[in-house]
Amino acid sequence: MRKSFRAGAVAMLAAAAMLTAGCSGTSGTDAGSANDPNQKVELTYWAWAPNLDKVVEVWNEKNPNIHVTVNKQDGGDPAVTKLLTAVKAGSGAPDLIQAEYQKIPTLVAADALADLSGTEANETKSHFPEGVWDSVTLGGDALYAVPQDTGPMVFYYRADIFEKLGLSVPTTWDEYAQAAKAVHAADPEAYLGTFSSNDAGWFTGMAQQAGASWWGVDGDAWSVNIDEDPTNKVAEYWGGLVEEGTIDNKPMYTPEWNTALNTGKQVGWLSAAWGPGVLSGNAGATAGLWKVAPMPQWDASKPSTGNWGGSSTAVTTQSKNAEAAAKFATWLNTDPEAVQALVKETGVYPADNAGAKSALTAAPEFFSHQPDFYEVVADAAQNVGSFTYGPNVNVAFNAYNDQFAKAAQAKQKSAFSDAVKSMQQVTVEDLKQTGFTVK
Amino acid sequence: MAMTVTKPGPAADTAAGPSRRAKNFKSRVLIPYAMLAPGIILFLVFMAAPIVYTLVLSFQKKKVSGLGLGKGSQSQVFAGFENYVSALTDPEFLGSVLRVLLYGLILIPLMLGFALLFALLLDSRRTRAGSFSRTAIFLPYAVPAVISSLLWGFLYLPGVSPFHFLARQFGVALPSLLDPNLVTFAICNIALWGGVGFNMIVMYTSLKAVPSEIYEAAKLDGCSEIQTALRIKIPIIAPSLVMTALFSMIATLQVFAEPTTLRPLANSLSTSWSPLMLVYRDAFTRNDVYSAAATSIVIAAATFIISFLFLRVVQKRAFGQEN
Amino acid sequence: MTTLAPSRTSNTKSARTPKGAVSAHDKPSYLSTGILILGALYCLFPVIWVVAAASKDGNELFSTFTLAPSTHLWDNIVALTEYRDGLFWRWMANTALYAGVGAIVSTWVSALSGYVLAKFDFPGKSGIFKVLLMGVLVPGVILAIPQYLMLAQAGLTNTYWSVLLPQIISPYGIYLARIYAAASVPGDVIEAARTEGAKEMYIFNRIAAPMMLPGLVTIFLFQFVAIWNNFMLPYIMLGDDHLFPITVGLNGLLNQGASAPALYTLVLAGALLSIIPLVIMFLLLQRYWRVDLAAGAVKA
Repeated sequence: MRKSFRAGAVAMLAAAAMLTAGCSGTSGTDAGSANDPNQKVELTYWAWAPNLDKVVEVWNEKNPNIHVTVNKQDGGDPAVTKLLTAVKAGSGAPDLIQAEYQKIPTLVAADALADLSGTEANETKSHFPEGVWDSVTLGGDALYAVPQDTGPMVFYYRADIFEKLGLSVPTTWDEYAQAAKAVHAADPEAYLGTFSSNDAGWFTGMAQQAGASWWGVDGDAWSVNIDEDPTNKVAEYWGGLVEEGTIDNKPMYTPEWNTALNTGKQVGWLSAAWGPGVLSGNAGATAGLWKVAPMPQWDASKPSTGNWGGSSTAVTTQSKNAEAAAKFATWLNTDPEAVQALVKETGVYPADNAGAKSALTAAPEFFSHQPDFYEVVADAAQNVGSFTYGPNVNVAFNAYNDQFAKAAQAKQKSAFSDAVKSMQQVTVEDLKQTGFTVK
Repeated sequence: MAMTVTKPGPAADTAAGPSRRAKNFKSRVLIPYAMLAPGIILFLVFMAAPIVYTLVLSFQKKKVSGLGLGKGSQSQVFAGFENYVSALTDPEFLGSVLRVLLYGLILIPLMLGFALLFALLLDSRRTRAGSFSRTAIFLPYAVPAVISSLLWGFLYLPGVSPFHFLARQFGVALPSLLDPNLVTFAICNIALWGGVGFNMIVMYTSLKAVPSEIYEAAKLDGCSEIQTALRIKIPIIAPSLVMTALFSMIATLQVFAEPTTLRPLANSLSTSWSPLMLVYRDAFTRNDVYSAAATSIVIAAATFIISFLFLRVVQKRAFGQEN
Repeated sequence: MTTLAPSRTSNTKSARTPKGAVSAHDKPSYLSTGILILGALYCLFPVIWVVAAASKDGNELFSTFTLAPSTHLWDNIVALTEYRDGLFWRWMANTALYAGVGAIVSTWVSALSGYVLAKFDFPGKSGIFKVLLMGVLVPGVILAIPQYLMLAQAGLTNTYWSVLLPQIISPYGIYLARIYAAASVPGDVIEAARTEGAKEMYIFNRIAAPMMLPGLVTIFLFQFVAIWNNFMLPYIMLGDDHLFPITVGLNGLLNQGASAPALYTLVLAGALLSIIPLVIMFLLLQRYWRVDLAAGAVKA
């Protein structure tokens, strides 16, 4: 018996050794020195944009020495969650990650992103709009990511229903409110839009349009500016519409919302440049009925818009081949062929100015009846205001979900104002509790 | 004696033990421990060590200097009982506990009641279609909670639900089950759907273990089928009922997948609806494992205390005469 | 339990008429049959709905009556199969590996531990059993984070092992195995084998385990479903979607992020396909299914 026990123990040890040797993580850590250009390098890349792996294939064909493997993720939040956990654990992170702009301060605070200012990625500044570049440098000398795409907000609407009701496209928020009233009066089940408590990025974009910037840096201290005029103005505006009942109060991206898009009960959608992909996927049968227009404005003489979505390519601190990874990130987001492929395969709106101009010539298929689609979007992209994100965007966005869900359910204008106050309070308290200096 | 949890070592175990025969150390200690080794090692590595690790984390917190953006500007420092104090005084945590208690008060009687009813019906000689029904009722147990919540979500949303569609045809406006005052029932229904079959099978198995002679005798005494069920069958399977109740309570306190899947569909569920959702939010959305660890320990301790108290009470009431 | 089983076997037909004597009391009751069938319909309804929904294309799903079936089931299965070069079937195979292999190993470990705890008398026995049982009370969500941090130290995250290994230990399985061993393995059989000089592991593998087999099937099914249902652990452990089990994979198709539409038709077809193997397995094994949580108690 003792003998068999000992044999068992040896077998277990052997099995454990086999596990560690044969099946350790795929994080390309064993690829040797990055200085030798002929050394074959393996990079892993966590990304969630659909079909991004097809763009990466182009790179792999051209660069046999730097092979990139895409690990498809569930979306921006889960990918960042996993990266933060891997950083905490000290291993398990990929070399590259697709990071939304609002996640960069959080990732930098957790020491998850490598500084690329010493690599060729630093030479790409001229490719990108200044506001976008600021969000990957956080306004300092370091460079934490290469911008990939942006999501300038625009207004999609059902041209056929607008025509039937004799409505003109709203250019200001006052006109939007009137159009909403008219749509709902004509059909009590139809709405011009919905206030979604699930999409913090959507609300952030609209606050950005109104001139908000929720965080700020003041020397060694952070400031939180959520509960201020621009955001309050936006919240009260939507609270008023929801209270009147002229705007729906249910979240977007639910089966119910999809149905409403299909049946014409959602007549408009305030969304971003990537909207056609979602519309064609959820309501393919309505192709040819939608049109795009600039966002309704607060001040028609000073057009502006916000960003919803948009992401960058970052290199993690656990990468043993940061140089090669930076080279790939630079190619992916600034090389004309790569940007062209990004547009074609993933349907994003590239952050690269020149790339966007040359790649976005024909309107997306879902909008092929509107040849000036990308002109409208490009104009919008010029008018994106600047916005600073802080190190606890996750906390603020989570507070948005919970507080605005309550407000939307209550259908009271005052509840929307209270929700903004709660967001401010929760965000400040979290910063203070963690030990940040808050002004 | 179902209470092996608190009073191990029923007679059946010791009678067969080798203690009578083997006196030496090897067979008394080494052999059993060697055979238990795989279980013990796995338990230590994958359960005990993570729990200890959670305990360690629960006494730490994150400390930031300056803007917190550079390398090494964040560190882990000792926090004492700070995380526990803030967990126990957090109105969100207390709110989630109250919601889950209400949820359990609705769900457990319903689930066990229906499970018992179906088990008794299956056991009744006058019921037909037993095999079909047993399989059908048990089937949802095989559907992962993430998927079942998605299916029920489709059936709840007024815009896509067939129930609301049919009601509209008759001019009736049904309330949405996802409204704040009904959403607890919506989650109960998903848990009931997934759990009633499992509990039914547990009770049915116990019923079948009862010798049929007892029923024959009862019938000769003129007991009706219902009287037999109430006076003979239910008392006999009481230990099974206790165990299903206990495991249902533990599962209730850990409700997570159903509300998490339903949450994006409506405005009525917060990200801290249940205690485990709060833990998940702290650990993953807010990136604060330290608070999450403290809350986890509180939940585990509460689960343990509730289970223990429950067993004590039931043991006194139902099994007092046996001990 | 085993001594009683022959008189009322798990087959419902013979359970109803154990002696072949159908008395007047045994005539069918429409009320009880009706209630039972209502319960069955309640449980089947969402499944029927899935069958209907999985047969629709993307536009029909959100525009036609929910229960009206359509003709696109095969198209959806083809689309699902084509999604990223058959990734769905890889997820199915992964799930079979995690749940199948995981449950077999887990059952063996549970059976061995339960057998020792029931049939051996040794110092510390009741203490070990109590500590193991407390594991039932610890939620998996709570364990997942520290398990991740520990497996990352060993470089095992994002591998098959990171999902397989933590789910082998099952306090609940050990608890059940102890009951089954106490009820179905007679002590004198073990004694007789020992007298003949059989090794302890031989006695367990060749004599005790076969006696416990019906109970072990229950533990296997139980553990299979537990691993199959466990979403959190693989969700946290795995970064590479080629390693995902079906639940995490389908969840990913639903939550693509704001800028991509959720792939509802693929998810619903996938949900339907993923239930089928489980249903078949349950139908094949259900005559062994006997979760007698308190069997030991009934005996004592």
